[in-house]
Amino acid sequence: MAQNRTFKFTNPQRVEKILSQYPDKRSATLPLLHLAQEQEGYLTSAAIEAVAELVEIHPGEMMDTVSFYTMFYTKPMGKNHVQVCQTLSCSLNGADSLVDHISEKYKIAHGDVSQDGKISLVKVECLGSCDTAPVIRINDSNYESMTVEKFDKIVESI
Amino acid sequence: MPLIKIDDKEIEVEKGITVLQAAIDERIEIPYYCYHPALSIVGSCRMCLVEIEGMPKLQVSCNTTIGELPPERKKDGKYDMIVRTQTEIVKRERENVLEFLLLNHPLDCPVCDQAGECYLQDYSYKYGRAHSRFLEEKRVRKNEYLGSNVIINHNRCIMCTRCVRFTREISGTNELFVQARGDVSKISIFEDKSLDNMLAGNVIDICPVGALLSTDYIHKNRFWNLEAKKSICTDCSVGCNILVYSQNNRIYRLNARENHNVNGYFICDIGRYGFHRYEDAEKVTSPLIRSDGGFKPISWEGALKEIYEQFSMSMSGEKQQIVGIASPFHTNESLFMFGRLMNNIFKDKSIIGKLPFIEDYEIHFDSGFRISKDRSPNRKGLLDFCPNLEDEILQKVKAGEVRLCYALDDGVDRKLDEEWESFFKSQRFLVVQTYAMTPLAKLAHLILLGPSPMEREGTMTNDQGRIQWLNPSVSLTNKTRPDWEIIMEFMNTVGKRELKYTSVNEVNLEMGERFPDYRGRTFFKIGYQGLPKKNITTSRPSEGRQAIQ
Ligand code: SF4
Ligand code: FES
Ligand code: FES
Repeated sequence: MAQNRTFKFTNPQRVEKILSQYPDKRSATLPLLHLAQEQEGYLTSAAIEAVAELVEIHPGEMMDTVSFYTMFYTKPMGKNHVQVCQTLSCSLNGADSLVDHISEKYKIAHGDVSQDGKISLVKVECLGSCDTAPVIRINDSNYESMTVEKFDKIVESI
Repeated sequence: MPLIKIDDKEIEVEKGITVLQAAIDERIEIPYYCYHPALSIVGSCRMCLVEIEGMPKLQVSCNTTIGELPPERKKDGKYDMIVRTQTEIVKRERENVLEFLLLNHPLDCPVCDQAGECYLQDYSYKYGRAHSRFLEEKRVRKNEYLGSNVIINHNRCIMCTRCVRFTREISGTNELFVQARGDVSKISIFEDKSLDNMLAGNVIDICPVGALLSTDYIHKNRFWNLEAKKSICTDCSVGCNILVYSQNNRIYRLNARENHNVNGYFICDIGRYGFHRYEDAEKVTSPLIRSDGGFKPISWEGALKEIYEQFSMSMSGEKQQIVGIASPFHTNESLFMFGRLMNNIFKDKSIIGKLPFIEDYEIHFDSGFRISKDRSPNRKGLLDFCPNLEDEILQKVKAGEVRLCYALDDGVDRKLDEEWESFFKSQRFLVVQTYAMTPLAKLAHLILLGPSPMEREGTMTNDQGRIQWLNPSVSLTNKTRPDWEIIMEFMNTVGKRELKYTSVNEVNLEMGERFPDYRGRTFFKIGYQGLPKKNITTSRPSEGRQAIQ
């Protein structure tokens, strides 16, 4: 985790809006974490502390949540952030070979960023598109019925 | 009040308590891991599942509260709930839960410190399967330090989160958190803040398995070799209740002992590891007399003769002053005897003082746990039994008079500043009663060998006025005599008394006769939970529940 940085939400109105949507502040935890991550690309400890303060829990407790979800990162990810679904349907349909392929090609393991910073890889839980397994998600778009060849082409194109 | 039935037992319970609490109160055993009476309920281990009539599935008893049913809906015409804890399905579920908990568990009980007091072991024995069906590879992780005194063996952890909740709810220090999820989850420290708060050692006590280990005790002994003595901590005036574990008169570890009028379920790390200070102290092994600038052993008879010669002269009218230095580290019984010696035998020739009280800062935790700034165990008792204690003794001793001094040892950490050192040096004859070669003892002319704090027996009065039993955890070494007995011999020798107490109980009874606040506060009566002094009607109300674990 990057240390000693301060964090300020650049869009306080959105923070207010999110907080106002829930009767219990703690319920705003996930949307606020997403917002913070959107702003910085990952969650710095300062950001985690800021969110913890907003929802009135201890940052240590916030870490339970942050580390629980695969879509929160506590370090910068690659420019193209590849998320390979490894839940049931995708696993059965060859998610593993996709992971192996990416690992080998970019010399990265789960959770790593390639040296040039262009690509990072994580294994994630169900992406909600099981009928078109295996599914990967690069940054904010899902790519369905993936194969190794398809993957290489997509990466080239973006 | 709701009426419920657990197995065959009819119980009336308070509305709103949980099934598990009701069972524990009735001493009905429901196995559990994540529940702890001092912590919030998470209901995550699933070990406490029971069958409740009318509910389709098994319920977690730790998180199911008991309410009242309207008359027409009562079960069997009268019950608000019918619980079954021993049916086939409940037992099978326990077996299944255990199978999951043991998936990645190394089953390394032969080298685990918790073996013998492990609920995973006990319940596996009772409810578990004899054979593992797990053919896959176990997830193996290295041990890690969580704090300077706490190691975690991740492989044994069952993720009950008791330790995490402890740091959030009791110590309030938030060092621990649950990292990630599923089979990769583990207990971690948040950022670089290691688990080093004053209560950190408690997580080792409350971990139901052998995952959290004390660096101080790891691989030192086996639980079944240890003898547990119920006693109290003497490191501050709160007087936390403890269990002292020893083998062959060597102490291996201290654990917290429940007492809701004093310390709840926990103790602080000062007390937990404090016993090493006595081990490290240079011991005295016999009464000693000064000779040629050093000390040489002397028999008890010899020592008493010496006392007779030095002190009974003072009885004969020569201008002399007897200085008694009492100490809040001693038991009520010893202080009672000391007060008698000074006030009834030396009378107005004597003056009783004390070394400056040892104080440090007071520590309060939001959960109510408290470490007193008074770092001696029995200041209350000292003031009760030596009511004429002189605060400014250094100023009060009269110049030009021959001074004879009898001092009780004053804790293992006692240092002497120059002023006090010269005070003691100026005594014509200084008798020090101690078990260790403290700076004070080094100045003595005669050293009387008393017990160390772990050998002492008697009562102590904590800062709330609660009288508690200091129960010796190791036996007296050869030549050591109990403090009260030494003082009794002193009285007999110098004051020509014929006191013949044979045990601390008899001193305690006599003490009760003379000090009404202590009347009837016998060892039998105060037991292991203590009792307030007579004139104190209420101490803090008893709260919380007894735990089986
Ligand atoms: S380390 Fe012990 S107390 Fe903490 S979660 Fe694991 S089993 Fe529970
Ligand atoms: S299992 Fe991969 S998208 Fe659902
Ligand atoms: S004790 Fe009830 S679920 Fe753990």
